[in-house]
Amino acid sequence: MTEMEISTPKISKKTRAERLSTIRQIWPWFFLILMVIVFAIISKTQNNVTFISYRSVQGILVYATQILLIGLAETIIIISGNGGVDLSVHYTLGIAAVIAAFIMRAMYAANLPPVLTIAAGFSGGILFTIVPGWINGTLVAKVKVPPFISTLGMGYVMYGVALLISRGQAISDQPSYLGQIGNGNLLYYWPKHGFSWLKIPAAASQADLQHIIPLVPNIVAITLVITILVWFILSKTQFGQHIYAIGGNIQASIRSGIPVASTLTRAYTLAAVLAGIAGVIWTSRFTSGASNAGEPTLLFAIAAVVIGGTSMFGGEGRVIGTVIGALIIATIQYGLVVLGQQPYWQYVTVGVVVIIAVIVDQLGRKMEHS
Amino acid sequence: MKENQVNMEPILRAVNLTKHFGGLVAVDNVSFDVRPGEVIGLVGDNGAGKSTFIKMISGVYQPDGGEIYFDGKKVSFIDPRDARDLGIETIYQDLALAENLDVGSNIFLGREMKKRFISEKLSRTIISLALGLPLSALLAWLGLQFFKIPGLAVGLVFGLAAGFVLGWLLGPITQIVDRRTMMGESTKALKRLDIEIPSLTQQVRNLSGGQRQSVAIARSIYWNAKVMIMDEPTAALGVSEQRKVLTLVRTLADHGVPVIIISHNMQDVFAVADRIVIMRRGKKVGEELAAETTPDKIVSLMVGAETVHKMGVIPTSIEGNSAAA
Repeated sequence: MTEMEISTPKISKKTRAERLSTIRQIWPWFFLILMVIVFAIISKTQNNVTFISYRSVQGILVYATQILLIGLAETIIIISGNGGVDLSVHYTLGIAAVIAAFIMRAMYAANLPPVLTIAAGFSGGILFTIVPGWINGTLVAKVKVPPFISTLGMGYVMYGVALLISRGQAISDQPSYLGQIGNGNLLYYWPKHGFSWLKIPAAASQADLQHIIPLVPNIVAITLVITILVWFILSKTQFGQHIYAIGGNIQASIRSGIPVASTLTRAYTLAAVLAGIAGVIWTSRFTSGASNAGEPTLLFAIAAVVIGGTSMFGGEGRVIGTVIGALIIATIQYGLVVLGQQPYWQYVTVGVVVIIAVIVDQLGRKMEHS
Repeated sequence: MKENQVNMEPILRAVNLTKHFGGLVAVDNVSFDVRPGEVIGLVGDNGAGKSTFIKMISGVYQPDGGEIYFDGKKVSFIDPRDARDLGIETIYQDLALAENLDVGSNIFLGREMKKRFISEKLSRTIISLALGLPLSALLAWLGLQFFKIPGLAVGLVFGLAAGFVLGWLLGPITQIVDRRTMMGESTKALKRLDIEIPSLTQQVRNLSGGQRQSVAIARSIYWNAKVMIMDEPTAALGVSEQRKVLTLVRTLADHGVPVIIISHNMQDVFAVADRIVIMRRGKKVGEELAAETTPDKIVSLMVGAETVHKMGVIPTSIEGNSAAA
């Protein structure tokens, strides 16, 4: 018992630096809330639309899924530091979408069972991404090619291969049940009739459809599960701890016996697999596969990571930060649609937000260390 | 106390260690004993061979001649990890700390405590089979549909291979770091050495230079250092911090862990060392008991007596002389 008493550390005592870093970590929440309020006021006064609604929340979450999944991949790589950034994930997303669509089109044409068609297509698309991910990791960790270069090259290779497979066109002719996964919901609520899982109740007529409220889109649920998984890996496991250590001081990590090369290889592979998951989600949402499926997402994802307070120098960052970053960007995108503005404003707004985020982050750090 | 140490068996003995770099003899026939509980100051001008010598006993370099005995047994090191496994810990000036992590994580850097759950190997195997078998069945069936029997075989193999890779990728997910125990152990380790650090949960980057030095020392001690080698431990510190680190060095020696200190600073050396070994141009030119010698004598041995006579001045610190090398 005395042993236990000695071993209880004084965790409650927080230093000034720790308090400041807490403030730095929660400011994006305030920013998100502020943005929602601004959108709500403008949409009410200008367009007479209610912005704060369940539909908006759902819309924003759906918009956020792809940015978040790619953002999670970038979070892992950027935390691993040493110039780490993965410039290939959006093309990895594209090739996963193309391969999944390619497999499913062939199986659908051969009239094979739907469940197996989906299983083969999804696992084929996701498994293939292990190849570019592993090559990226090996190039970075063993051959010591700067991540910027190796992932840039690998991205183009993947883009090219995806174009070759798809002959430069979107692979459509997908089974109709595919779309039910990407656009369906986990749960539907039909007032007075109760809840039903996965499917709109068969008893509902065409007229009833407008009363049925879709709850929890499938892809949001999947993204949530994966986000929790990545959070767990980064903050709870030894592998995650090693990623932070490598990002903080790679020399010390080597000398302390951390398996740096295999940890980095695994990190890049994991990032690619996350992109692969985003790829098959894209396929099921748009019932098609295209090599440029992930094209605009890469920079949005990096922006989300930066807004979330992850340091581009490595060693620091949190999954929850990336979640907020992705939500902020999705809110901007969705809000502009609701306001009926030109969608091109999203680039302007996101750009400004990223710069503000970095300035706030730097100010916060400076205050912590002084 | 001194009497005692002389009679004790040396824990580490270096006999006639020699190291060449091309035509240059960096270390020439240097012998050296380290006994439990003593602090040895290793001094010499830049290029005298101190670092090369230290790197041989910490496993960074392999000697070209001579032997190393640890606890009476002859040993040879392929890399620094061999030396560390025996308990020869070296703290370099950069301290090898990950500044973005907290104190506990640094003490356990690379040797994190894990919650007893299942081994990584078992978790890999389970994941490999759990994902590999269904994948294999799926792909075999798919192969059969499109390519008959060869397709079935390829599908089977490919599915199992994919499962194996997924096991490698996701296996570590079960290896959970036990932060509570790590924190508790760190607190104890720091307490044992009378090291005070306000909050163990803060990043090492927020600590002072002396506190960082203490964390590095506590880490070595926690991992059962039997001999500690410190390269210029006080070089980057303020005066009060220097004193704290030197006290800590003394504490280590009192716990029975001998410390070899490389230093340019005569004051530091005389403040902590029991014995002072002087090197010059790769050779050991003297070994003095600190109580029976003076800084002037050490410095004259370091730079060569004749040089000092010509200069007519005997500096108490050699720092001003380092440009000579």
